[in-house]
Amino acid sequence: MVTLKQKMRSLIDKGLMSKILIGIILLILIVVPIIRMLVYIDKESFENVFGSKLFVNNLINSLTSTAVATVISIVLGYLLAWAITRTDIKCKYLFTILITLPMLIPSISHGMGLIILFGNNGIITRLFGASNSIYGFWGVVIGSVLYSFPIAFIMIADILKYEDQSPYEAADVLGIPKIRQFTAITYPYIRKPMISVVFAVFTMIVTDYGVPLSVGGKFKTLPVMLYEEAVGQLNYSVGSVIGLVLLVPAIAAFLFDLFNKDKGNASYVQRSYHTKTKWRDPLGYTVVSVCSLMVILVVFSFVIQAFAKSYPRDLSFTLEHFENTFSKKGGKFLVNSILIALFTSVFGVALATTTAYLTARMQSKSSRLLHLMAIVSLAIPGLVLGLAYVIVFKKSFFYGTIAILVLVNTVHFFASPYLMIYNAFGKLNENLEEVGQILGISRPRIIFNVILPQSKYTLIEMFSYFFVNCMMTISAVSFLATSANRPISLLINQFETYNMMECAAVVALLILVINMLMKAIVYLIKKVGSKYVDKKSI
Amino acid sequence: MKLEVKNLSKTFDTKEAVKSVSFGVEAGEFLSILGPSGCGKTTLLRMLIGLITPSDGQVIKDGVDITNAPPSQRKMGFVFQNYALFENMTVLQNIEYALKIKKETKAIARETALRLIEKMGLTEHKDKKPNSLSGGQQQRVAIARTLALNPDVILFDEPMSALDVATRLALRKELKDIQKEFNTTMIYITHDQEEAFAMSDKILVMDTAVAVQLDTPENIIKHPVNDYVKNFVVENLKIKIESLSKYIGVAEGDIE
Repeated sequence: MVTLKQKMRSLIDKGLMSKILIGIILLILIVVPIIRMLVYIDKESFENVFGSKLFVNNLINSLTSTAVATVISIVLGYLLAWAITRTDIKCKYLFTILITLPMLIPSISHGMGLIILFGNNGIITRLFGASNSIYGFWGVVIGSVLYSFPIAFIMIADILKYEDQSPYEAADVLGIPKIRQFTAITYPYIRKPMISVVFAVFTMIVTDYGVPLSVGGKFKTLPVMLYEEAVGQLNYSVGSVIGLVLLVPAIAAFLFDLFNKDKGNASYVQRSYHTKTKWRDPLGYTVVSVCSLMVILVVFSFVIQAFAKSYPRDLSFTLEHFENTFSKKGGKFLVNSILIALFTSVFGVALATTTAYLTARMQSKSSRLLHLMAIVSLAIPGLVLGLAYVIVFKKSFFYGTIAILVLVNTVHFFASPYLMIYNAFGKLNENLEEVGQILGISRPRIIFNVILPQSKYTLIEMFSYFFVNCMMTISAVSFLATSANRPISLLINQFETYNMMECAAVVALLILVINMLMKAIVYLIKKVGSKYVDKKSI
Repeated sequence: MKLEVKNLSKTFDTKEAVKSVSFGVEAGEFLSILGPSGCGKTTLLRMLIGLITPSDGQVIKDGVDITNAPPSQRKMGFVFQNYALFENMTVLQNIEYALKIKKETKAIARETALRLIEKMGLTEHKDKKPNSLSGGQQQRVAIARTLALNPDVILFDEPMSALDVATRLALRKELKDIQKEFNTTMIYITHDQEEAFAMSDKILVMDTAVAVQLDTPENIIKHPVNDYVKNFVVENLKIKIESLSKYIGVAEGDIE
């Protein structure tokens, strides 16, 4: 008979204690601050905010600009994804790098790039003598598109990559017209995942304050309002009400994904999609070239602004803007950024890996709850998270330290790396731990000698994800940064406020270069690693 | 070595996966557990090794009750259906890893592993990673990894179901050779009647959750205990033989 002792042992075997421990950590880091923020809302500020014309105006601004930007982003993302996955254009790898470059810099720098290009003294403005001001609705839309289309591209490419051509071939054989093929095969396949993409892009844009703050001018959106109220005037209760509003689309997106697990991504593709027509490759080249050019223009604008003595009057090369940036504590803040990024990466990878091990490889009912807690941070915009953290930690010794920024970033960026390693662990052989049990190899040894080595590339990707995002984030950290722990990304806004565009460009460039270095290191490690494996196994 | 299984049962929630199964295995014997998918044979095997705690009954090895002993202390090996090799390690490392953990000296671990690699005909593959080996070679690595700890009995959980017919036939013989060479007792799970009859000294036929007959292949053919055994084992084999012999006859005719 099963004794009580055995029953206890089997419970502990499934890692219940570890699950409780991780559960408590996630609860404190994610759930508690959000609840604390919601509790902060009082009836008065609630009525004040919802009754104010300003709020309604900003809400409409947010919705209209985000809706337009989302549509453009999705169309662009789809075209790019199509060009990369369905055509035979050359240099796909290079184009992919260029297209995804905007993901390595803060959103606010896209606004800044637009100002440098299209502002009153802008490069393009002067070139073509255009006079329409970039500030306002269209500035926000274009900046938001620049900021979000790479994400749309990556997500949609992921959908298209896994579409199977066999149904289309079958339909051709049966003589089913193309239009009917689209409604019967393509549409059902892409509908759900595309809705997910729309939600994700919409949420990303509607919760961003960087672009509208830099290029919106008088055109203000909800995140800007939240930022000004909470960061500028320390009016947390009004901020919390807006935070609540911003939670709505994010939670909707989260719930949609949660209840639509079927992403249509078949894990096994019989025949990848490939049809050749005369116009296919030329169109592919056109699409990727135009988008790459857009990205290059923005980056180029930073370069010219950062290195020219005094754009547009004096274009001679100088490093004085760098000196200037560093003399304004830029160096210290850069070190802060790198420290925050490194600590977050190490801590985040450790926490995400531990959590994923418990949920993916020690499955039980409690692991499903833990999994949900681990991915719920997807539903919390960085701006809201930062506000929640400042409300909870403002008076603690913790405030103003590097540690609090490490924590808030870990939570903010937790879900994606967690899902990466969760999927990787799920794909490993399910019997490895049992082999250990039979051969007398302890679970920790199996983890460190077998499971983690097999997941090393995922771990590296996770590290890089945390690092890159920490370097460029301006959302959550903006509430918690003091002169002691400020990351360099927040200097962009500060420099812009004082109209020191050169220094702002220097900062954007520094972040871009560091993040590109990080990506390059990851690429090299993977390349060398796979070469080594190939050699050994031949 | 003698293994006795007494009234072993397992209930998951309300489902009875294994219901009071009893049998015995003598040293050096090859026993197949034969039954259709979902009849509880894998659950039974997992209880023998200790990966699943039985709801009731006993597993007795050489007179010692090991029902609740940890898997690693039973001196039993287990070959998984998917082999579960350590993909990040070479063949050699896979085989010597457990020995190193068990505080064998490095030299002894290496020597044992190399000896097994040679006997298994894996010498030219010893520095390769498992994913560059064929299914049959992977199975040999899995068996060698098990043999390294010198088990009294090795349990096989349908190890050939993922392999093609030609490899299966070759491996059947190989498995028997290994058994003779190491004089190891083997308990082998399969749903394939032909496989069970080709390899076993004894066969335990299972119906849903229960054992229905334990006997030599010959006796099972001659004296099936009930209609189930008759239909599932005897009739099935007959059909296979009849349908094949027809074609084999034709083929031989052609050759002549």
